[in-house]
Amino acid sequence: MLEVLFIGLSLGSILLLVALGLAITYGAMGVINMAHGEMVMVGAYVTVLSGLWLGTNIFVAIPLAFIVTALLGLLIERIVVRKLYGRLLDTLLATWGVAILIQQAVRLEFGLTFFGMHIQGLGPGLQNVDVPGILQGTLHIAGVDINRYRTFIILVTAVLTLATWFLLYRTVAGTQVRAIIRNSKMAAACGIDVERVNALTFAFGSGLAGVAGVMMSGFKTVFPDMGTSMVVDGFLVVVMGGVGSLLGSVLSAGILGEINGVVAAGTNDILARAVVFGVVIAIIILKPKGLFALKGR
Amino acid sequence: MSSQRRIDWAIYAGFVILIMLVPLAMDPFWLNRIAKYLVFGMLGIAVALSWGYAGILNLGQGLFFGAGAYMLAMSLKLASATSLQQGSDKPVPDFMLWNAEPGAKTELCCITKASFLWLPFQSQWFGFAMGVILPVLMAVVVGLIVFRKRISGVFVSIIMLALVLLVRLVMIDAQPVTNGFNGLTDLGWFKVGEFEFDPYIVPTYYLVAGSLSVVLLAARLLIDTRAGVILQAVRNDENRARYLGFDVPAYQTFFFAVSAAIAGFAGMLYVIVSEFASPTFMDLSFSITMVVWAAVGGRASILGACIGAIAINMISATVSEAEGFAEAWKAIIGLIFVLVVLYLPRGIAGLAHDLIDRAVTRKAPAGSVALRVHDASSQLAE
Repeated sequence: MLEVLFIGLSLGSILLLVALGLAITYGAMGVINMAHGEMVMVGAYVTVLSGLWLGTNIFVAIPLAFIVTALLGLLIERIVVRKLYGRLLDTLLATWGVAILIQQAVRLEFGLTFFGMHIQGLGPGLQNVDVPGILQGTLHIAGVDINRYRTFIILVTAVLTLATWFLLYRTVAGTQVRAIIRNSKMAAACGIDVERVNALTFAFGSGLAGVAGVMMSGFKTVFPDMGTSMVVDGFLVVVMGGVGSLLGSVLSAGILGEINGVVAAGTNDILARAVVFGVVIAIIILKPKGLFALKGR
Repeated sequence: MSSQRRIDWAIYAGFVILIMLVPLAMDPFWLNRIAKYLVFGMLGIAVALSWGYAGILNLGQGLFFGAGAYMLAMSLKLASATSLQQGSDKPVPDFMLWNAEPGAKTELCCITKASFLWLPFQSQWFGFAMGVILPVLMAVVVGLIVFRKRISGVFVSIIMLALVLLVRLVMIDAQPVTNGFNGLTDLGWFKVGEFEFDPYIVPTYYLVAGSLSVVLLAARLLIDTRAGVILQAVRNDENRARYLGFDVPAYQTFFFAVSAAIAGFAGMLYVIVSEFASPTFMDLSFSITMVVWAAVGGRASILGACIGAIAINMISATVSEAEGFAEAWKAIIGLIFVLVVLYLPRGIAGLAHDLIDRAVTRKAPAGSVALRVHDASSQLAE
């Protein structure tokens, strides 16, 4: 049973890892970023490419992926998202288009395939990342076998969550972000540069997705479509937790992860996912604002 | 307004005549392809109706399409020649034999755990009726729960999205009854009396084209009825409509169900022309793709969304023929979509509407300015 709970915890931490960035962009900016999954994918490819071309391992890839995806996020915010503030469903549609563009860019190796050139590590195929030896195998704690890599994921998620919490609740920038979540016009009236804060927030959220991608690459195959299903899971976590509530996202990721783990142990993975969807639907219907709704707006 | 409306109807009539003339110029292979695209056009109508007119962006329209498709496909599966060759005098789908319970009789009643569900589908018309009834039932149940609770906007989208993924997983998991991932293939032909609708013959094309025309015109008439106008009022300001005394959830549920019925019907037609049903109909990407078609064509125009769906599919079929260009085309679609959302929120139909407006205004500058302002404001309200 302990092992099942541990697997649930690690599933939950993966959900949270993806949802963390979404919680910020969706919660703070009212942007449904369907390209978030592609940010995860880009992060995973950064790991692949840095491993192939620089010979570095997964630890180096974490800051690298954060920088790359944050810059990409900044670019998307500047070009597309900026024009769509206040049009929630349109952000969903436009970023879906962006998601397709990013996927195809990786698949077509930025168009180089048309010129017969090939970049090792890109393209439509599957890629794998080698995990450093220190993260392989299992630990024995209190008579239970615990997978090292899963433990690593849980730790990274915890660190990122704490960092995000600290940024949001203990820094000036975070206070500004929270002011924008509550009421962006009033925040602007108080002298907050909403455009700038929004751009940086979006970049930060994208960067978190990039780190999530690095973590994913360690235990999943890396391929151009890998992000699509993740973005859905991430959204369900954010919506269930309550838009704009970090605590809500953490708890709902934990709950969904445990449900997934326990049901999967009893039946199979497919049904477990189905049950997760069912739970989310029920919660949205019962509490449309999510488990931890912010008052305001 | 009357001249605009006349132009509107003339365009609709032109479209119907155009699709009726297609068989004159096409070989059977392309005719079959175009029939599929017309089915997608019908899906565009369903999306426009719920998104453009009811203001409900349904990210799970594939649920209704898939439900319609599976209902008819079950009947057609039992009608296929292979189902009769499984060692029983009654038809049994081949995949059930592979999943049979040990020692079970080779009969629909009991060969796998839930195979008895297939029994009524021995009648093709039962499957045909269920292809519309089931989507409508689902839409009514969802609609009554969701709209009564005043859930709106993005939450409805997310509920539908989660629902379609949920159903998709259940369908895949229920392998002994649904053939899981593989879906239902090797189907028989749809029959009316003695006539068989071979997907590659002209009458099958007309079955689809005729259905599309009827659905298109019916949808156009529906939005001009009192209920349609009230629905648009709800879309523009839900609370105002409520204060005026209208039963808002009833209107929303009704149009949601109409949209589901159209999608379910489209699913059945798709099965007739493509001879398979698969869980991919309930993939997230397919449901979003439908929305893309409607957005490019014009979310608030029934014909626009329909033409958007047909045009995008026609172009991608033509372009994908070129070696290695299929993937690049996907990227172009993504780009077009971003550009449409950013710069052309009302789609191609909106653009055409403006152009026609301008032409009409030039002829009669007096009265139509006010109309245009009114028109624009109602479009902006969204």
